[in-house]
Amino acid sequence: MNIYLHELRAYRKFTFIWSASLIILFMMYFSIYPTIAKDADSFIKMLENYPEYLQSAMGLHLESITSLLGFYAFILTFVILCAGIQSLHIGISIISKEERDRTVDFLMTKPISRSSILTEKILAGLTTLVITNVFFFMIAKIMVEVFKTNDYDNRLFALMTITIFLVQLMFYVLGILLSVIMPKVKSVLPISLGVVFAFFIFGTLVVSDEKDIYRYLTPFKYFEPNDILLKGGFGLLYILVAFIFITASIVASYVVYNKKNIHAV
Amino acid sequence: MNVIEIKKLTKYYGESRGIIDVSFNVEEGEIFGFIGPNGAGKSTTIRTLLGLIYPTSGSAKIFGLDIVNNGPMILKEVGYLPSEVFYYDGMKVIDLLNYSASFYKKDCSKRIKELAEIMDLDLNKKIDDLSFGNKKKVGIVQGLLHEPKLIILDEPTSGLDPLMQQKFFELLEAENKKGVTILLSSHVLSEVQRLCSRVAIIKEGKIIKLESMSTLNNENYKRFKVEIESPVNNDYFSIAGVNDLQVNEKTHSFLFKGDINQITKKLANVNISNIWVNEPDLEEIFMHYYSKEE
Repeated sequence: MNIYLHELRAYRKFTFIWSASLIILFMMYFSIYPTIAKDADSFIKMLENYPEYLQSAMGLHLESITSLLGFYAFILTFVILCAGIQSLHIGISIISKEERDRTVDFLMTKPISRSSILTEKILAGLTTLVITNVFFFMIAKIMVEVFKTNDYDNRLFALMTITIFLVQLMFYVLGILLSVIMPKVKSVLPISLGVVFAFFIFGTLVVSDEKDIYRYLTPFKYFEPNDILLKGGFGLLYILVAFIFITASIVASYVVYNKKNIHAV
Repeated sequence: MNVIEIKKLTKYYGESRGIIDVSFNVEEGEIFGFIGPNGAGKSTTIRTLLGLIYPTSGSAKIFGLDIVNNGPMILKEVGYLPSEVFYYDGMKVIDLLNYSASFYKKDCSKRIKELAEIMDLDLNKKIDDLSFGNKKKVGIVQGLLHEPKLIILDEPTSGLDPLMQQKFFELLEAENKKGVTILLSSHVLSEVQRLCSRVAIIKEGKIIKLESMSTLNNENYKRFKVEIESPVNNDYFSIAGVNDLQVNEKTHSFLFKGDINQITKKLANVNISNIWVNEPDLEEIFMHYYSKEE
């Protein structure tokens, strides 16, 4: 488990900054809630001025946005966007940095199989995401308790918060797969920003139709907090497809990584 | 017993050749030199042995185990010193060495201290702050700290000052006395001459010569360049054993192999204003000697 611990140590600053940023972002925006709850009607009237397509693109659901969980769902949309960047970034970088920093000759001439290297790295990155989510959950729970005006559905709150991790998981395995396939990744940040924003924008353009096949093309539409609020839970088909995607990506990553030729840098 | 057995190892990078039908063996306890010009295929061969790249065809065994199927088991007893060393940001030397040691299930702390002392390496410095030569030393300690039975070196002494080079050679010779086998890839003739008992010469992907060091020494040329004051003919130095004679006004330059007294006698008979004598490096020998053979 030496690689696992080494990678955790190497990413501790990254994880701390991202966790703190997500939490602070959330706290800033969510703390507006009391103001909105007080003036609910005038807030809704203001939002009605936005054209419908813009409303759905921004995740503004007028019927629920003034409720605690409805507003929570709205803020979560942006938290999930940033969380997606974090997970895609670490997925790509944790593998490709060996080639970028030219330490691959050091690591891959050690008596350890490539599969073991990959396993330890994947687990390390996953651990950082779990840590981020645990802290976020705690802070979000506290804030929601502080700002609630009446009781809210605890189960729904939990499910909605877990969607952060689920979307991150999808971007994470995508990052891992990209990093073993791409020949040399010089700069990870532009790729992670570009890819995540592309998926996000694509998601906003998708008509919010349940049966729309295009929803399956972007991780942001698999576990939308608002949908969960409306339907009271996850969509089973989304879970199934996500599971297949995650499994296939991981398996493919192992296959490619084991067969790869590591050229001199 | 052969520690390394290479049979017709071939690697193509798409259409371009890496190595073609490379075959040679390295016996236990040998110091074996693997020499050739840049781009000849030394690194390709070594990287294939280490499992970093996969052969197109052919096979190789280390410790009797196939390199493709038994990588991790072989690598337990192999120490690799690459030509350029790169390490993780923000680590101290001792952290990196301990991380390296953690891959070999044995306690290497004593050996790390020993090696660091011999190579004059400060264990508490940050790697980022080290000079190139000192980073090289980290590479040396890193490759040897687990007391491997086979050491593979790729241009090991580039970057080291002469004193450190000496210490490093002594280190290698001490290991070799303990029975450690060494495969040394280089294009610096002096270090190959100093350490190796046998050499394989590779050019354009193919092994062109496989012989003992003593034979290679006898084929060693010296390069002369002489500025002559007295008037002489352009073919003054054109005697047996001289090659590639070039005359430019007062400067005569040539390669010579044979009894050096023949040259010194010729030099004694004229007034010279300047003289340079050096050993060509292996690349010059290749480009001259072997291209002549074609």
